[in-house]
Amino acid sequence: MNRFAPGPYQISRPINRRLLLQATAFITGAATLGRPTAVLAAMFDDVKDQYLNAGIDWRQAAGSKIQLAGLTHPWMETIRPLVPIFEELTGVEVEVVEQSNTEFITEMPVKLAAQNALPDVYMVWAQGQAISGGWLEPLDPYLGNASLHDAAWWDDADNFPGARSFSIWSDGVSYTRTITAEAQTLFVNSAILSENNAAIPATFEELHATAAAINSDDVSGVAMRGKATGDAVAWPAGGYVFSYGGGILGLDGAVAMDSPEAIAGVDMYARTLREGGPLGVSNYHWLEALNDFLQGATAFGCDSSNFATDISNPEKSMVSDVATFAAFPQSPSGISRPNMWHWLTGINRFSENKTGAWLFLMWATSKPTNMLGAAAGLATPRTSAWSSDAFKQALGAEAADAALANLANTDGDIMKATWFHPQAGEVLDSFAIAVNEAITEASDAETALKAAAENARRALGQ
Amino acid sequence: MLPLNMPRGLPRNAFIVLMLAPTTVLLLGVTLFPFLTALVMSFTNYSLIRPNELAWIGFENYLNLLASEEFWRSFRITVIFTTFAVSMQMVLGTAVALLLHYETRRVGWLRVIYLLPMAITPVAATFTFRMMFNPSLGVINHLFKTVGLAPQDWLGSPATALLSLLIVDTWQWTPFVMLIAVGGLAAMDDEQLEAAQMDGATFWQTLSHHVIPMLTPYLAFAMVFRSIDAFKTFDIIFVLTGGGPGTLTRTLNLLTYKHGIEFLSMGYASAIAIVMLAIAILASQVFLRRLRLLQPRAARA
Repeated sequence: MNRFAPGPYQISRPINRRLLLQATAFITGAATLGRPTAVLAAMFDDVKDQYLNAGIDWRQAAGSKIQLAGLTHPWMETIRPLVPIFEELTGVEVEVVEQSNTEFITEMPVKLAAQNALPDVYMVWAQGQAISGGWLEPLDPYLGNASLHDAAWWDDADNFPGARSFSIWSDGVSYTRTITAEAQTLFVNSAILSENNAAIPATFEELHATAAAINSDDVSGVAMRGKATGDAVAWPAGGYVFSYGGGILGLDGAVAMDSPEAIAGVDMYARTLREGGPLGVSNYHWLEALNDFLQGATAFGCDSSNFATDISNPEKSMVSDVATFAAFPQSPSGISRPNMWHWLTGINRFSENKTGAWLFLMWATSKPTNMLGAAAGLATPRTSAWSSDAFKQALGAEAADAALANLANTDGDIMKATWFHPQAGEVLDSFAIAVNEAITEASDAETALKAAAENARRALGQ
Repeated sequence: MLPLNMPRGLPRNAFIVLMLAPTTVLLLGVTLFPFLTALVMSFTNYSLIRPNELAWIGFENYLNLLASEEFWRSFRITVIFTTFAVSMQMVLGTAVALLLHYETRRVGWLRVIYLLPMAITPVAATFTFRMMFNPSLGVINHLFKTVGLAPQDWLGSPATALLSLLIVDTWQWTPFVMLIAVGGLAAMDDEQLEAAQMDGATFWQTLSHHVIPMLTPYLAFAMVFRSIDAFKTFDIIFVLTGGGPGTLTRTLNLLTYKHGIEFLSMGYASAIAIVMLAIAILASQVFLRRLRLLQPRAARA
């Protein structure tokens, strides 16, 4: 299809410049303070025709309404102000429901298990649970429908390979679309490093030694998650385990968290936090770890690349001018395998407006919308958005390069083996408790992981 | 006695049923129905992530539960938490009530101040404590440093996490015990105390031989209420430690939450909840029967 010719389906009221500028101003004001409005406005002009070029009948669900549900997250912050563009394009009204992390993940399973028709579209927090519970609409019939999908326009090849693999389940069916791309990245406070005549560490041993040397009552060496819950310490500790050549569950689904490699990874993670971390780090979730870095209270952070948006923003960060971003460190065998994550969205299987929901999914994960999100600093799963100047300006070129390099080093398969398991909750809970016990020295890494592995095996019936 | 304006022609029993119906329906709806649902669910393998495999499994959940180390560990933690929390609250609540009873000046204001912790929304108070316990920014470590003591990792250290929870629970619920004890003291027969004093009894003798025995029925009920409540404490633990470090503060209620809400194993979680209910009923019945508080006064005498 000619990208510059109007598509076969015309919208009744074209997107006008005023609407786009309103959205620009909203994003600029609410989500990306200090971002250059002119860049975004120019970008809107660039992308608006791209919606019209799609071979999709955008108006086929006009007059209907959908509900989008998500948790407090940069994606929700970014997509909410762009929703009027979708409403104008399709005539579908969107109600956005945003909840805190805890509220969302406790309420959604009950709602979906009760076969509630709402929400129509939702952020998928645990794909394994959702597919096993039958809460996600298979997307393949939509992908094969010419009036609903334009494969050339949507351009799946533009997504990172990891993002593509996240969208396809082990049975070969697509249930979700990816909306973000995150990889474990090292954040460095270069001012603290200079004061201590230290260099950016390239290995876990160097990170441990440097953090321990810097650690004092006033400034900690490193702040990472330590809390004993599956949604806290498990993710960053997972990157250590992968880099040491281990897994939490193996590729065959067998419990592997008590392998020598996994024990070595957890031991290093725990020692680094115990000797280089702040007092109270064993109770840290990502928010506490990020806050310490933003306030200049720690020399290193190591978490999602998405945090670079806040770290680089002088309105939120006291270290925006001294923060640098680096590759995830290497294990003694020279492997750097950071943990990764792609947030996903899907359609509620019991939705009564699946066409409207599908159109929203297509629009929200399309190139133009991702381009707009990237300009607001959102790390999207599309290479075109990552290579845009607006994204590099929003996230910082160095942060974008570091995150991209770390994304390239990830191993989606070993990560998915655990996080996509239908009983990931039980497995990650056991693993998190073991890591936490190693941090607090309630137990050594080996003893804690062997006990955790037994728990996990019992839960999985292995 | 029925009210004077009872509708004419309506039979007495019909009127009583009519008046009781709304409350009865409400109570059945919010207590009996959820209880029966949980009871039935506890005999199934119901999991939200495997809804199609739903099957009746009899007592399997209960047998698995009683055979699991995780359950007994949580049970031990719950018993320790309940015992220490209730003991501290009983001693402090009674002591404050006695002080207020014998104090005559500005006692009204003092009562209001002492009752404030109970009136504050629990989660709001707990978040405030979370800030106070913060190792770097919290006021408690600031005070420690001021007097030359080393700062502590209050919520993250195995040595202090449970103690911190006990402090918060005691701060919040001591006023409840105090309120009941104050009521008991106000209802006390002063003649006995005056007679004891005229016989030359000291303050401690009066307290131990007269005041405390007369307060016992009130304190016993306070103890039962607090024990049941402490046994199922959730909000304080969830917000402050989340059950950690490790599993050192994972009480039975948190274990139920983990299995029900995080792991979505509703059948197993229901079994834990039913066992908790059985323990609470059994313990309170044994306690009240031992003190013979369920019998009429004449029978006790």
